[in-house]
Amino acid sequence: MTAINIKEATEISLEIGRMLLQSGATTNRVERMMRKVSEVFGYQHTEAYVTPTGIFISVSDSQTQLNTSIRRIENRRTDLGKITRVSHLVSELEQQSCREGQCRLSAADFMRKLAEIDNAKDYPAWFTVFCGGLTSGCFCLLFGGSWAEFAVAYAVGILVSLALRLLGLLQINNFLLNILGAALVVTFAKLIDLGVPNIALDNIIIGGIMLLVPGLSFVNAIRDTMSGDLVSGTARAVEAVFIAVAIAAGSGVMLKLWELWGY
Amino acid sequence: MQFIWAALSILGFSIRVNLKGWKILLLALGGGLSWGLYLIFLYYSNSLLFSIFCAVILVCSYSEIVARLIRVPVSVFVTCVIIPLVPGSSLYYAMQGFIAGNSALASEHTYKVLLISGTIAMAIAVVSSVTNIMFRLRNRF
Repeated sequence: MTAINIKEATEISLEIGRMLLQSGATTNRVERMMRKVSEVFGYQHTEAYVTPTGIFISVSDSQTQLNTSIRRIENRRTDLGKITRVSHLVSELEQQSCREGQCRLSAADFMRKLAEIDNAKDYPAWFTVFCGGLTSGCFCLLFGGSWAEFAVAYAVGILVSLALRLLGLLQINNFLLNILGAALVVTFAKLIDLGVPNIALDNIIIGGIMLLVPGLSFVNAIRDTMSGDLVSGTARAVEAVFIAVAIAAGSGVMLKLWELWGY
Repeated sequence: MQFIWAALSILGFSIRVNLKGWKILLLALGGGLSWGLYLIFLYYSNSLLFSIFCAVILVCSYSEIVARLIRVPVSVFVTCVIIPLVPGSSLYYAMQGFIAGNSALASEHTYKVLLISGTIAMAIAVVSSVTNIMFRLRNRF
């Protein structure tokens, strides 16, 4: 049974907010979670303000104590599994008796649990790459491809997932990453097309592009706007539009280059 | 058959975004449902936007219910199940039209992309507002 002081409560809320936001949770959820956590620790008057690129929180229990912190968020990616696990942790915390700042878990324990979630094992790399192939292959079938095209789309999906992983190591920005990804989809599809006769490129390229389409930004933009978080809603909508433009530009340029080359 | 392809592709997608356990099977079912419902509505109504609207509404209701039952954030579910309906193919054809200098084709498909994404947005908004209201009413009484 240890009390959690205001610095630690702020730190824990910020950490939870950072993890949720970096794995792509909606603004409303991040704010609610952060408020809930500091309420559990006994700080009732907490305000959190979250945008896609930064978190502001001020934790206070009464007029005497007030602690405000800001954290900048970078490197956003999609990790829905992490969102689920953090949410479970928070609701667990809420259920266990935690009256007036006296908690069974100390701040250090809680931070250790969060770090555990943060560093939890992903699927092995070969498995996610394999599933990238499965996704693009099945989308190819869905849009009316044949079995031969399924095989080619499968190979393209695997190659592109691999390439995206390698590009991710370079830490280039999202826009450039999508341009390069789309360009690579077209390149791989064309290269395989040279060796294999009688396949239509359209479905294969669409299958590959579906791997890059900004579904999460799009859904989050809508949900944010609906819950009244206009700043993040607009920012995420613009992000989705930019990614869509990047995909179109990348694949377009590459198709044109191949055409000029003479294939 | 189409149902299975959609389900399998969502299975792959949900593993790529690092979800674990048997809930990815439910997600795959949702993805399959969204495409299947879309095809059924398209067959009976012959209207692209109407069928997308109805499919998204039904699938979002499905995911609101199932996500609450298995205690997963709803947005996680909704994101994954609408992926098959996202207009990736129209985006590609629009781009191809631009490159070929065929602006009629290009603008037709760009228009389609905007309309489809607008429709999906509207359907998601409707479902999430309705569930919000339902929860508020249930809390009051």
